Amino acid sequence: MLFENVDFSALELPAPALKLREEVREFLKAEVAAGSFTPHLGHTEFDAEFTRKVASRGWIGMTWPRRYGGQERSYLERFVVTEEMLAAAAPCAAHWFGDRQTGPSLLRYGSEQLKQKYLPAIARGECYFALGMSEPNAGSDLASVKTRAERVAGGWRVTGQKVWTSWAHKAHAFFVLCRTAPDSGDRHEGLSQLIVELDAPGITVRPIRFLNGRHHFNEVFLDNVFVPEDRVVGEIGQGWKQVTSELALERSGPERYMTTFPLLVELIRRLGKAPDARAQEAVGRLTARLWTLRRMSLAIALTLDPGPDGERGAARATVDLATEAALVKDMGTFFEREIVDAARLLAAVEPTPDATDTFERYLAETIVSAPIATIRGGTTQVLRTLIARRLLGPLK
Amino acid sequence: MNAPDDVRSMLVESATRLLNDQVDQKMLDAAKDDGWSARLWHALEEAELPRVGIPEEAGGAGGTLSDLAAVLRVAGRFAAPVPLAETAMLSGWMLASAGLPVPRGPLAAGPAGDEVVRTRRDGRRWLVSGTLARVPWARVAARLVLLAQADQGAVVVSVDPARCAIRPGRNLATEPRDGVLLDNVVAEAAAPATNVTRSALRLRGALARALLTAGALERTLELAVRYAQERVQFGRRIGQFQAIQQELARFAGEVAAAVAAALSAAGAMERGSDVTLAVASAKIRTAEAAREGALIAHQVHGAIGVTSEYLLHHSTLRLWAWREEYGNEAEWATTLGGIIQKRGADAFWPAITTT
Ligand SMILES: Cc1cc2nc3c(=O)[nH]c(=O)nc-3n(C[C@H](O)[C@H](O)[C@H](O)COP(=O)(O)OP(=O)(O)OC[C@H]3O[C@@H](n4cnc5c(N)ncnc54)[C@H](O)[C@@H]3O)c2cc1C
Repeated sequence: MLFENVDFSALELPAPALKLREEVREFLKAEVAAGSFTPHLGHTEFDAEFTRKVASRGWIGMTWPRRYGGQERSYLERFVVTEEMLAAAAPCAAHWFGDRQTGPSLLRYGSEQLKQKYLPAIARGECYFALGMSEPNAGSDLASVKTRAERVAGGWRVTGQKVWTSWAHKAHAFFVLCRTAPDSGDRHEGLSQLIVELDAPGITVRPIRFLNGRHHFNEVFLDNVFVPEDRVVGEIGQGWKQVTSELALERSGPERYMTTFPLLVELIRRLGKAPDARAQEAVGRLTARLWTLRRMSLAIALTLDPGPDGERGAARATVDLATEAALVKDMGTFFEREIVDAARLLAAVEPTPDATDTFERYLAETIVSAPIATIRGGTTQVLRTLIARRLLGPLK
Repeated sequence: MNAPDDVRSMLVESATRLLNDQVDQKMLDAAKDDGWSARLWHALEEAELPRVGIPEEAGGAGGTLSDLAAVLRVAGRFAAPVPLAETAMLSGWMLASAGLPVPRGPLAAGPAGDEVVRTRRDGRRWLVSGTLARVPWARVAARLVLLAQADQGAVVVSVDPARCAIRPGRNLATEPRDGVLLDNVVAEAAAPATNVTRSALRLRGALARALLTAGALERTLELAVRYAQERVQFGRRIGQFQAIQQELARFAGEVAAAVAAALSAAGAMERGSDVTLAVASAKIRTAEAAREGALIAHQVHGAIGVTSEYLLHHSTLRLWAWREEYGNEAEWATTLGGIIQKRGADAFWPAITTT
């Protein structure tokens, strides 16, 4: 019923991916040794300099075709880079949207001109993207976006408000989901995706502070912003289909179950060589969960990989693993919280944000960010509804 | 896909077809009294399924451990009341590893727990003694294959259960779990145990239960989904209620995780890469999934699900029995956590990424 045609027993990383892993580990070890970044959990940090270093290794857009700045490497190799970055809590915010969302969308739907304009710059670590989907009255119900684009000579004029836009204050451009035709009854019609540069006249970015005072996300106001015709992604009116088809790969990656992983490593360190049975059991259970989630996530990456003959960068369109991807996200985000609780209960320390001890600081960072993973990228409830629909089929 | 996968999918297809034809509620109900289904066993044997994964030199049908794993998952799905896992995965492996031929007929294996079976030479014969509790399928087996201790070292022995005193017992699902008393029983065959160790046997037993559990969970999910599609209350299919949908989605996640873990562990054992990590993870994860899944399946079914007339209990009783056999999730988690801690924090991520 699920994961049909996936052979878990045969699922193995190929030799090039294993070799790459060693390279990534060495790179990260050297970066940490040089003090180039301080690992933080909860929100991955935005660090343009680090992103450029990653890019110079060829690890951004690495599955894309060479002519767009990619390396034509496999999804599994990208998987390895991603999981190593997460294991090291490396600051990847500057390139993650571009690498994971913008790039694949452009590859699949973008015009040749858009691909040329943005993909090589993303892959060089010089162009950063944000995502403008949510609005004050369009959260889970994304099809109810009100931001409007009106046709004018040479392009569109866009007016509206986006919210929760992560890193809009640092990004160069964002993908905007908006209405290009009035709601005619079918809410999924008349939506389009545009690329809007964030320094365009008429854009105002205002910070929204996270509950610990940090600035990660924003509200973005668009007041009659001119967007040239060639910034339309895909077809006018097809925005809904485009947005929803992007989600499978993006939902099932290691970033959906590994954001608190470094806390687990520090917990193991803190517990020492021979902790009591209660601690051993907790660590054993978390290990089993992690190991299993990783196998599921790997299976999706491998299955969606278009392979050397296919066009790199865009997932195989013929396989539908959207339900499986939603399952991985749902279970992964709960697993991330289980790590936090295990760490909290076994260590019994009062969390302090400015602790010098890494474990204690990680604990504080993950406790305050614990609610977010089950909200962003599709809430638990919405994902489960989607999964159930697929299981049950149409009921009347 | 490549060639071995094709062979595997054909094997899965034919096992599914056979079990689908053979196993019905009547057979499962009858097996509660008889302890097993001889008819099903013969059909499986005719299709060579109990010999999958056993090398041809030993009289097996060849194929890999992953092939056998795929078959066991199907057997679990149909709640097949036969010692397929014991014959192919445990006894067949023990005999073949010791260079002994694998006889036809259902086989049982032991010890599953920490009992000690002793054996000693008596001229050209080997005499076997010991007391074993809860040996799966002992009373229906043609041979009992045991890992025994001799002065010279560990020995794999094969004995005829007819020469032993058997005290019939059963697990929650009325599968035979029999007490066996061996008092200087003459072995039918014996050979030094080279690769067969107590811990290897326990790992295999745990893997077999994980695979059966994964299959049984798939069946319980199928039943729950079908019921949610059909049952009407308040004028609507209960599957239209979001509360039911949320539970089914959670259930599906548990089932997918169980399948992923069990089959992945089989692959890891076949390749010999960090087998303890993989099998422990699989046993823990499948047992956890069994706990969540069985209860959701029952909740979705309401009262009909807890009757012995309705099919569901054949699967859920097995889930509740199998999660304890060869170590429950707490035992394996403690073992695994102990290993992880001993290796230290910096070895953790490298270990996770080897399989
Ligand atoms: C840290 C963070 C970063 C984010 N970054 C971005 C970004 O960069 N760009 C962007 O566009 N958005 C971003 N988001 C927004 C995110 O996508 C939305 O928060 C999400 O889609 C949910 O929308 P909402 O917050 O309006 O909640 P709502 O949709 O209002 O949901 C509130 C509650 O109601 C439940 N609910 C809603 N509908 C249903 C239903 N049909 N059935 C059952 N329950 C339902 C939800 O599950 C939830 O529990 C970010 C969010 C967070 C937390």
